[in-house]
Amino acid sequence: MLLVHPIREVGKFFPVLIGLVVAGGASGIGPWALLGVGVPVALGVVRYLTTTYRIAGGRVELRRGLLQRHTLATPVDRVRAVDLTASPIHRILGLATVVIGTGSVASGADERLELDALPREEAARLRSELLHARPAATPDQAAAGGAVPDEEHVVARFSPRWLWYAPFSGTVLVAFGALAGATFQIAESVHLRVSEADLAGIGTTFVLSAVVGVLLVAVLVVVGGYLVVNGGFVLARYRTAWHVRRGLLTHREISIDMARLAGVSLGEPALLRLAHGRRVNAIVTGLSGEGQSTSSMLLPPAPAATGYDVASAVLGDPTPVTAPLRSHGRAAATRRFSRALLGSLPFVALVVAGVVAGGPVALLALAVVPVVLALALAVDRVRTLGHGFVAGHVVMRSGSVLRSRDVLAADHVIGWNLRATWFQRRAGLVSLTATTAGGKGRVHVPDVSTDDAIALAEEATPDLLGQFLVP
Amino acid sequence: MTQLREPAHRVSPRARLMWHVETAISATVVAVGLGVGAYFATPDGLRWWLTGLAVVVCAVVAVVVPQWRYRVHRWEVSPTAVYTQRGWWARERRIAPMSRVQTVDFAQGPLARLFGLASVTVTTASAAGPLQIEGLDRDVALALTDELTRKADLVAGDAT
Repeated sequence: MLLVHPIREVGKFFPVLIGLVVAGGASGIGPWALLGVGVPVALGVVRYLTTTYRIAGGRVELRRGLLQRHTLATPVDRVRAVDLTASPIHRILGLATVVIGTGSVASGADERLELDALPREEAARLRSELLHARPAATPDQAAAGGAVPDEEHVVARFSPRWLWYAPFSGTVLVAFGALAGATFQIAESVHLRVSEADLAGIGTTFVLSAVVGVLLVAVLVVVGGYLVVNGGFVLARYRTAWHVRRGLLTHREISIDMARLAGVSLGEPALLRLAHGRRVNAIVTGLSGEGQSTSSMLLPPAPAATGYDVASAVLGDPTPVTAPLRSHGRAAATRRFSRALLGSLPFVALVVAGVVAGGPVALLALAVVPVVLALALAVDRVRTLGHGFVAGHVVMRSGSVLRSRDVLAADHVIGWNLRATWFQRRAGLVSLTATTAGGKGRVHVPDVSTDDAIALAEEATPDLLGQFLVP
Repeated sequence: MTQLREPAHRVSPRARLMWHVETAISATVVAVGLGVGAYFATPDGLRWWLTGLAVVVCAVVAVVVPQWRYRVHRWEVSPTAVYTQRGWWARERRIAPMSRVQTVDFAQGPLARLFGLASVTVTTASAAGPLQIEGLDRDVALALTDELTRKADLVAGDAT
C-alpha cells in the first residue's frame, strides 16, 4: 500500500498564499483587507494540510476537509485522462496540479479529483502510475518505475508558422466585440462631450480607421493569446497514452489513455478553411465536451496537412480521415436550400417593408444580399453533408460555418437516435445520431436517407438493428 | 428497401387522458396569456378575432397533440436491446444495446400517480442518449424496471 501525504514542507502552499496576497492587496489596504486575506489563507492552509491521497487496492482515494470530511474514491481502471498544470508560480516552486479525469458526470468543484501543488516528480510519478500501471505492467517495467527510457513518438510540434491560423479561429470576432465594448466604456467614463460640429467632422475615413485599428488590436491579442496557450505545443505518444504539452507561461500536460480514445473530431470552420487550417479534438470516453473541451484538444488551429497527420496517427489509420463520404442525395439538398432560403426571408421582408414605408426603390437591390448569402450557405452545406463507415469507424461530416468531420470507432458507439419530423418522414430522411460516452456524447448528421441510416447503423453495430427491421 | 418497424408495445391507454389534462393545463395558461395580450395590444377591429384565434389554436393543440402522441409513443425490450419511439410532430427512435445500459429510473409525478401511471428512463453513458418511456401502467413499469435492472446487471464491464 502506498500512502503519500502531499505535504512535506509548509512552503509548498506558497502558490496559494502569494496568489491570495496579490489578489487581496489589489482590493484595498487596512486591517479589514488583512482579515480578508488572512481568512482565505487560513482556509487554504487548512484545506491544503487536510488533503491526502493514496492509491490502494486498485482505487485512488482523495480525502479532504477538517470539520466536514470528504472522501472521494474511484477505481484506477476508470481513469481516462490525467492533466498536469503548472502556473508560473507553481513552476518557480517546482510544483504541479494534478487533475484526474474519470467518467463521472458530476463535475462540481468538490467532486473533482484534483490535487493542487504536488512536487513535480511526484505528480509525474502519480500520472505514470495511473496511466501505465494498469495493463499488467511487466516486472522489468515495474522495477524501473516511471523512468523507463521508452521512445516517445512525436507526431506534431509547434512551429511559429501556426500563428498564421490564430486569427482565423473565430476568437478574433469575440476579441473584437470585447475591445469595441471596452472602447465605448472608456469613452463614456471620461465624459467625452460630442458637439454637433464634432459629429459633422467625423468622416467615413475616421470611422473606418477606428474599426481597422480595433481589428488590428484584436488580431494582436488573439495571436498573443494563441502563443501563450499553445506555445511549445507537442503531441506525442508514449507507451499507451497520448500526451499533449503546451503553454508558454502556464504549462499543461494532458495525457489521454489510448484505450479510452473513442475517436477524433476534425474542426474545419469556414474561416479556418479559408486559411487552409484545421483543428483536431479527441472524443474521449469520460471527458465531457462542455467545460473540459480544452483538455480534449489534440491540435490547435494549424495547417490542414498537420491536422490530417495528427488525426491519422491518433486513429492509427488514415482512411477514415481521407476516404470520400457518401453524399445525402437530392432530398437532403432540397431541404438545405429550402431551409436556407426560409432563413433569409425575414431580411428580405424587412427590406421590402422599408421600401413600402417610403424608402427609395433602389433599396430593393439590398434584398438580393441575404438571398445570395443563403444560397452560398446552402451550396456549401450540401457539399459538406456526408457519412460513411470506413475501416471500423463511423464517419459523419456536416455544417458549413462550423463544419466538422467526426470519426468514431464502432465499438465506442453505445446507441442510436433516429429523429425525423413530419417533413423529413415525407422526404424519406432521418437525422442520425450515434451516441458515445465521450465528447459531446454524440456524433450527429442531419438528413440521411432512411435506408442509408439503417445500413450505417447495421454495419457499425451488427445484430442491433436487425431485430427491429420490417421482415 | 429496409425499414425499421415500430416498437412492439403501446403505452397505457390512460396516458392519453393524463396528457390531455397536462396539455389542457398548459394550453389554458398560454391561451389566457395570448388572449390578454391580443385584447390589449391590438386595434379594436382585430381584437376579438385574434383573441378567438389564440383560444382556438390552444384548444386544438390540447385536443389533438395527446392523441397524436399516443399513436407515436411505443417501446420494446428484446434480450439484447431497448427500443423506444416518442414525440409527435418530430418522431424520435432510440436504440441502445442492453450491454450499454447504466441506470434504470422509475419515476411517478403527481399527475401520473393520480392516473396510476409511471415513466421509466434508461440511461447509457452518453449525455445524448437517455431512453424515456412515459405513460406506462404502474405495474408494467415496475416489472420493466426489474427486468432491465436484472439484464443490465448481467453484463460485465463499465458499459462505456
